[in-house]
Amino acid sequence: MRRSLLFFGIISLIWSCEDVIDVETQPEAPRLVVDAVIRVDTTQQFIEARVTVTESSDFFSENQPTQLDENATIFFGEPDPNSLVVEPLGCASLAETAPGTGIYEIDPDVFPCGRLPMELARPGMVFRLLMRHKGRTYYAITPYVSTVPIDDLQLGDQTLFDEDETEVQVTFTDVENQEDFYVFDFGFGEFLAVEDQFFDGQQFEFSYFYDQTFESGQELEISILGADQPFFNYMDLLVEQTLDDGGVFETPVATVRGNVFDITGLDNVDIFDNVERPNDFALGYFAVVQEYKETIVIE
Amino acid sequence: MPNKTFPLSLILFLISLTTYAQQKYTLSGVISEASSNEKLIGVTVAVPELRTGTTTNEYGFYSITLPEGDYEILVSYLGFSDITQQIELNTNRKINFNMVEQAEELDEVIVSEDAERTNIRQPQMSVNTIAVQTIKQIPVVLGEADVIKSLILLPGVTNAGEASSGFNVRGGAADQNLILLDEAIIFNSSHLFGFFSVFNPDAIKDVKLFKGGIPSRYGGRVSSVLEIFQKEGNSKELKVNGGIGAVASRLLVEGPIIKDRTAFLAGGRASYAHLFLPLFDIDNRAYFYDLNTKINHRINERNSIYLSGYFGRDLFSINDNFVNIYGNAVGNFRWNHLFSDKLFSNLSLIYSDYFYGLELDFVGFEWDSGIQNFNVKYDLKHYVNDKFQINYGLNNIYYVFNPGKIKPNSPDSGIVEEQLTKKYANENAIYIDVEQDVTDKLSINYGIRASQFNRLGQDEFFVYQNDNPVIFDPFTLTYQEATPIDTINPGRSGTLEKYFNIEPRLSASYTFNENTSVKASVTRLAQYLHLLSNTSSPTPLDVWTPSGPYVEPQLLNQYAVGFFKNLRQGEFSLELESFYKDIENRIDYIDGANLIANNAIEQVILNGEARAYGLELLLRKNEGQLTGWLAYTLSRSEQRTPGRTPTFDNGRSNLETGINFGEWYSTPFDKTHDIALYGNYELNEKWSFNTNFIYQTGQPTNFPVGQFEFQELVVPFFGLRNQQRLPDYHRLDISAKLVPKKNRNRKLQSEWVFSIYNVYNRMNAASINFRQNQDTGRNEAIRTSIFGIVPAITYNFKF
Repeated sequence: MRRSLLFFGIISLIWSCEDVIDVETQPEAPRLVVDAVIRVDTTQQFIEARVTVTESSDFFSENQPTQLDENATIFFGEPDPNSLVVEPLGCASLAETAPGTGIYEIDPDVFPCGRLPMELARPGMVFRLLMRHKGRTYYAITPYVSTVPIDDLQLGDQTLFDEDETEVQVTFTDVENQEDFYVFDFGFGEFLAVEDQFFDGQQFEFSYFYDQTFESGQELEISILGADQPFFNYMDLLVEQTLDDGGVFETPVATVRGNVFDITGLDNVDIFDNVERPNDFALGYFAVVQEYKETIVIE
Repeated sequence: MPNKTFPLSLILFLISLTTYAQQKYTLSGVISEASSNEKLIGVTVAVPELRTGTTTNEYGFYSITLPEGDYEILVSYLGFSDITQQIELNTNRKINFNMVEQAEELDEVIVSEDAERTNIRQPQMSVNTIAVQTIKQIPVVLGEADVIKSLILLPGVTNAGEASSGFNVRGGAADQNLILLDEAIIFNSSHLFGFFSVFNPDAIKDVKLFKGGIPSRYGGRVSSVLEIFQKEGNSKELKVNGGIGAVASRLLVEGPIIKDRTAFLAGGRASYAHLFLPLFDIDNRAYFYDLNTKINHRINERNSIYLSGYFGRDLFSINDNFVNIYGNAVGNFRWNHLFSDKLFSNLSLIYSDYFYGLELDFVGFEWDSGIQNFNVKYDLKHYVNDKFQINYGLNNIYYVFNPGKIKPNSPDSGIVEEQLTKKYANENAIYIDVEQDVTDKLSINYGIRASQFNRLGQDEFFVYQNDNPVIFDPFTLTYQEATPIDTINPGRSGTLEKYFNIEPRLSASYTFNENTSVKASVTRLAQYLHLLSNTSSPTPLDVWTPSGPYVEPQLLNQYAVGFFKNLRQGEFSLELESFYKDIENRIDYIDGANLIANNAIEQVILNGEARAYGLELLLRKNEGQLTGWLAYTLSRSEQRTPGRTPTFDNGRSNLETGINFGEWYSTPFDKTHDIALYGNYELNEKWSFNTNFIYQTGQPTNFPVGQFEFQELVVPFFGLRNQQRLPDYHRLDISAKLVPKKNRNRKLQSEWVFSIYNVYNRMNAASINFRQNQDTGRNEAIRTSIFGIVPAITYNFKF
């Protein structure tokens, strides 16, 4: 439960020497990748949902978009604490926006589903994603998680390791007496997962260092996303896995398992046990989280 | 405090054992180096007529009990001139020997046959001694002589490469090595991420590594014992020696306070600040220093006391944004007391403190952690007769673990001050160990150690549903941290968990003739402390945690057999050993475990198991202008963490897959082939040359089985653990030592050491990482190497 701050992955053995080399990897067969982080802007009337599906590739190739066998469906409902089964209150159907893109968005006209009204963005609401791909059935379940706004963004002039860095100071206020998790999206595929263990209830400022400099006038968009612990763990592990540090705090690599599972033919869907077939799963994550966005302009 | 009735009752028992023998007398004394009174460890005192003998202990004391008669006593020690003395043993005699170092003339460098013969006869196996002189000769990076790097040249000892601290013995982890400096436990043996070790070679007298067949006087670590004794100090005259090297300079002063009775030693070593500054252009500091101090006082023939201290610190900082400080501090009082000329005792009172701190300015975070221990040891050695020695003693260690104090580093930091719950434990042990020559050919060494670990209460302790701090999600097949259902306050006086282990030890040697023997040993050991480290090398994150309700002690069984032979009258010696060991309760971490400032470490740990087996060969050339050795090890080291026993809860099965699906996987220290070659060539009085070559199978690692894109992140993903290996590690180092001629007729003795590390500039991979090139957007594999070819010059002096 209590994880610590994770700012440590960035120390590298800077007196060492690095070369690009050829390595023979032993790639596995492509897997379905589901990118389904639904960012909820509570000022809108509806929750916009977009799900991207691709297939994984070997490390040195690019992922290719793929198509689902039929529309994906998001069900929502509030679970009864006394029952394992969630009775869906309603659903939304997601159709591919243009053939071949692998991008699925809500089609409000598919009976019996509709849109996702904003009142669903409340604590206790649970969303489930169901999709079929190449004859297999995939399923994910996630709660709605809210978050707090960013209080302030400032440009800093410090650097961490070398000159070609840009410091951004982020300030936000944690909610007191509850355990909170946050995921920051700094753009450019840069994320940071943060928990409040050491600053519970405080206004907290930290510095983030982009490993690049920007031209004057460029706008940086920074988001704070809500997260429950599994989503925090997932993003934390992803970030760790993508850091190229080779450094002294490096942790062993792992298969980053998300929350999208292959339930094809599973006769125990109620308890979701697939211990017997550990290799059947999809990559990626399904989350429905509140987002606040702020921008800052490079001087 | 010592209980006199305990040894006395044993003496009575042993006397009853030996009364049938004829009239016997005891020859005992202390053997020292003539010019400094430095006591010598492991000197052979042989009685050729009776084909028997003994060796001096860690405090230079020997005792041998023989039938009445006239004998020729031969005292010999590597690098020293033999002493032969006729004695008439018709009463108990006390004879102290002073040994003279052999002149550096080549023809005289002859290893005594008898010194080697004891090696053949003693049941003690799997032990390696490296002379400090050899350590100083082995070429190392940047010319800084190094104990740990020298050990890597021995069979069965490896490390993870240049920038890794610690060392791995017979496929064990670095935290499984008991490192003793003057009997005090050292928790981290490395400076600067493992580039250097904490032992100043100038201050060291003796280095001994037990890889197996560990005597029962040692306990608490399952892999090996590295026992290092510091010099006592010259009680005859003031001596200074030092050196100026490429990274550090050192100075050691020793001399008498009261001539022949009281001596001091003070040594310091410091690296130059901004050590790595020339290599890159950002503001950083990296340096270390250490201090060794010692005072010894001989009260009388029967009593000596020693006071010694060690203090070392490392500092590493980048832009003051990241500051890391760590180090050991050790204070130690010892009292040698001779109850009789047959019963030697040593009482040690040791305080040791290990500090590890991090400051991260960019999040306003400061974290200080550490471990303190108070250690009382009382060891007795009872030299019953020339065929029978009995060692026994007791030991108590009280530990305070500070997992960390988190502090804001400035008033405007949002970090809330928090003291992570301190942990307390007490470890005690008693042991008895017998060295017995059963027949002329068969010697055995048997003992037993009873150890108890008491995990004491603490201020806050988490309680979990079903006592289970790690839950398994049967759908994602991942382990997750459980949420505590309650926090209790057991108080410091109570006990959270108690472990008791009986650790039998047995080793035997059978001597076919003076030059050939076989040996076998069985060892059981318990280890109650665990180093939390999920990096592949142990520094700089160094947090120790005690066994307790959720973390069980590591239990080792090791079996070893060996064949030992001297060839060509001891010109060559051959040691061949094979071992198998298994360890219960080796901790493993769940994927994504975070160990820094974690207040509930039990939530990310599972108990697994480990095993290792292998074959070691050591061929030494002991004589002549060319000396050295070839070491080869073929071994395997694996661990696994299967799913825990399923429990049934609401009719749901809680089957678990375990870590890595419960399959055995190579540990990071699994090196299939490990070859080390070391040679020393004395050309003439002026020049000598040294070389070593190391080859190790590449370290197990993981390469991605694929990649996926998620939220603009390009994520490599991995299959089962440690399926691939880094490229093989190998390198060749050479050095030349010049002793100028003008040394002859003056007090100042100087020497120059020229060395080249990694002569053929092999770019050994410290790691291979997979990332996206920021400029091209293409994925790449990046090899990180630490040192290419490194030349260095060191100047050493003494006067």
